[in-house]
Amino acid sequence: MTSLTHLQRLEAESIQIMREVVAETDNPVMLYSVGKDSAVMLHLARKAFAPSPPPFPLMHVDTRWKFRAMYEFRDDMARDIGMELIVHINPEGVEKNVNPFTHGSAIHTEIMKTEGLKQALDKYGFDAAFGGARRDEEKSRAKERVFSFRTAQHRWDPKNQRPELWKIYNTRKHKGESIRVFPLSNWTELDIWQYIYLQNIPIVPLYYSAERPVVERDGTLIMVDDKRMPLEPGEVPMMRKVRFRTLGCYPLTGAIESEADTLPAIIQEMLLTNTSERQGRVIDNDSAASMEKKKQEGYF
Amino acid sequence: MTKHLSPEKLNERRIKAVQLRLDGLTVVQVCERTGLSAPTVSAAWKAFREGGWAAVPVRPRGRHKGQANVLAPALKATLWQCLHELPPVGEPGWNSADLAQCLEKAHSQPVSQRAVEHWWEEEHLKREAWPLGSLSKERSMRGRWYRQAVAPVFKQLNSAAQRWQGGVRHLSHPDGSLYQIYLHGSRGRLWMRSFRRPPVAEDYLITLKALAANGPAALVFHGAALSAAPELTAWLAAQRDFWLVPVPADIGLVPGESVRAGAKSTVFNNCISNGCVPHNRASNNPDSNSKQVKR
Repeated sequence: MTSLTHLQRLEAESIQIMREVVAETDNPVMLYSVGKDSAVMLHLARKAFAPSPPPFPLMHVDTRWKFRAMYEFRDDMARDIGMELIVHINPEGVEKNVNPFTHGSAIHTEIMKTEGLKQALDKYGFDAAFGGARRDEEKSRAKERVFSFRTAQHRWDPKNQRPELWKIYNTRKHKGESIRVFPLSNWTELDIWQYIYLQNIPIVPLYYSAERPVVERDGTLIMVDDKRMPLEPGEVPMMRKVRFRTLGCYPLTGAIESEADTLPAIIQEMLLTNTSERQGRVIDNDSAASMEKKKQEGYF
Repeated sequence: MTKHLSPEKLNERRIKAVQLRLDGLTVVQVCERTGLSAPTVSAAWKAFREGGWAAVPVRPRGRHKGQANVLAPALKATLWQCLHELPPVGEPGWNSADLAQCLEKAHSQPVSQRAVEHWWEEEHLKREAWPLGSLSKERSMRGRWYRQAVAPVFKQLNSAAQRWQGGVRHLSHPDGSLYQIYLHGSRGRLWMRSFRRPPVAEDYLITLKALAANGPAALVFHGAALSAAPELTAWLAAQRDFWLVPVPADIGLVPGESVRAGAKSTVFNNCISNGCVPHNRASNNPDSNSKQVKR
């Protein structure tokens, strides 16, 4: 009997989940946020259905405020793997020019991400959406099932979740309901990095340490990625050797000072860290249990 | 026999001796080839067997620079106070002579420039000047940058005293975050200022104006995106005899940066091209025959 490593077990579990979703749902989609978890999820999807491409499109719910390197990477990736990429931006948000600076992180997230996602799911009629969330990221994500059911209004009820005993998933859903599926639920950040290293998965260069222009805001290092970032009077961005543990909208994503510019160095850094990667996300610190509230309203 | 050798030379020969011993040469043969004495060869060999390659080099002689506690705490406090204040009029920052003079005034006690420089080393404030001249023939990204951006500017300046280099950096200090603007003038002479918050445009302007006050000058600067501040760009645009040459990120000029000769611009490409991710590891990749996604 061959024994599997823990990464092989996680990989097998994720592939089984993906195949289950494709077998049981009508119109699945994979949400692609261009981060490292999305990269791993996409790699697993390609493995699950190889040699054919995965039988679902990728969808990026864009806010217009992602890092430039993320957009370049997304377009390169979609072109290279030959999958359909749907990019959805909330047109109401564009019309009102919603942004993290004038509207604040909470409203920006609500309109551009949560509402944008709900619009896109309704527009294309997707009944299942894969997401790269992991349980170790944040406490509200820790209690969410692998198959997370949403009402027709995309709301999540954390007190009404289905049991998933012995990894048997009940995929039956009522009319109008949809499922958010998290094949990476049981992975940790370290697992993700080890898997990226072992499988040689391409990721956005922002994860590697490099000199980047940053300003300090409330103790968080924010990268000045383009000219839209308003500077305080007299403020001059400093070049510091930083990298990102998590990637989102650049004005809302904190960098960490690091010398890790290779995958082994990142893994070594991961082994020593005792904080969550989401610590760098400004939106997670809006209020107590803010992530759970956002998730109940439809945030991924 | 080895007393006349510097620690660096001695270490080179000790490592060579161990390599030769590993190749199967006798102690006598190794002595002949390396010029070391038999006891030294035996000692290096023994050190290698007990502690590996790391144990072969000898310890550096003497104490580390800056380890001597020559300044009293009150003097050190005064030095910090000076560095956080505006530099003497006309100076781009504080140099060791100005600081020594400041101490003498405040405490009526003569302090040498060397003592101040030792304190800089102790507090990790001292930075070595970049060997810009040696880049002129270097075949690397930073060599190209020097030839294209720095050399044409330096050519217009006759005196070495008009050629400046410097930067700004963040230091983790026991008393909290510390920011330092440092400048190297001719012969590597060091000027500096320190701040408890990131320097603002006004702080940079004081430094730049002091450099420009003494006639034509050029500054090769690292560590801040000065072009992002409208005050600075406006001032720089108005200067006819002052040139600012920013050091691009990740060209391996500043200590602490990863130095990679001929490196491409992104760290991602560096990682792939340097082979830190072996391609043969992706054997079970569904797309293992396809090319790596390159930006």
